[in-house]
Amino acid sequence: MPKKCSDYIQDLNDYLDGEISPELCEEIDKHVGECKNCRLMVDSMKMTVKLCREGKSEELPVQLQDKLTSLLKKRWDEKFKSSQK
Amino acid sequence: MVRAVGDFTTLRRLKISFVYISESRLYFFLNHFPPILGLMSERELIARAKAGDFSAFSALIDKHKSRIYGLARKLAGNDQDAEDIMQDTFLKAIDKIGQFRGEAAFGTWLYSIALNEGRSLLSKQKWTELQPVEAYLPSGGSSDMHSEQAARLFDWKDPHKLLEQEELRAIIDNAIAELPYQYRVAFLLRYSEELSIKEISELIGESVAATKSRVLRARLALRDTLSSSFEVKYAKKV
Ligand SMILES: [Zn+2]
Repeated sequence: MPKKCSDYIQDLNDYLDGEISPELCEEIDKHVGECKNCRLMVDSMKMTVKLCREGKSEELPVQLQDKLTSLLKKRWDEKFKSSQK
Repeated sequence: MVRAVGDFTTLRRLKISFVYISESRLYFFLNHFPPILGLMSERELIARAKAGDFSAFSALIDKHKSRIYGLARKLAGNDQDAEDIMQDTFLKAIDKIGQFRGEAAFGTWLYSIALNEGRSLLSKQKWTELQPVEAYLPSGGSSDMHSEQAARLFDWKDPHKLLEQEELRAIIDNAIAELPYQYRVAFLLRYSEELSIKEISELIGESVAATKSRVLRARLALRDTLSSSFEVKYAKKV
């Protein structure tokens, strides 16, 4: 019985992330080459990850860093002073 | 004779490059960390922190705070919640530092705290329940069932060319924020933090198969949400 599009779905992530056997990879390549729906699916799944990776690097803002340090120091002193009693 | 000269030159080169590397490394440390703490291994820093040395704990946190903030920002989707998750993570780390046994890397341990803090803080958020997997599949013509429920498929082209950068960013952030928490975590750890499926499965305490399936469903659901947003936006632009 020939495979349907949905038979490939469980393997699509491994296929896209390059973690699949060469045989299965070839089989999916062939199907995607012939099936427009699966090609659109694969292209947009790739783009989904690409777009999500693009976000700006989330550097910790400086004022937040200072706030964090004093907050942690306070908690630290509470913890270690009380344990020394 | 020629060979001997060649060997000698190679040796000299090796020696020179060795000295160069260690100098630049030393230079890097002296500039980026306080002199002594900066040269300590993570293990030494942890031992000192457990003994009550705050500067050692600070040095540990310094190495990880940007990554934890970045993860919190993506998990939360907004600055305020991200700040809370990050702060709660490090406060919890202070409370629990005595329990850290070093089975996992310190960074992984912080991740697991951050994921828990994120879950409790974001539990009030409303997110869309995911549909059955079939709803995200291409219909593939007559041989497939569920065609009435099939995925939205059209050519996305390059969204950067069709949408403003800010508009695109908002669509993506919203789509991620709509994912149920455990799917959002799986997706972000895999594709933002670049962890392996095995690492994620250990972190979230699920089997490799369950982790794989969660990452796949998250990706399919996200693709579907983006697809419907793009369809609406592209239609308006034409
Ligand atoms: Zn197909």
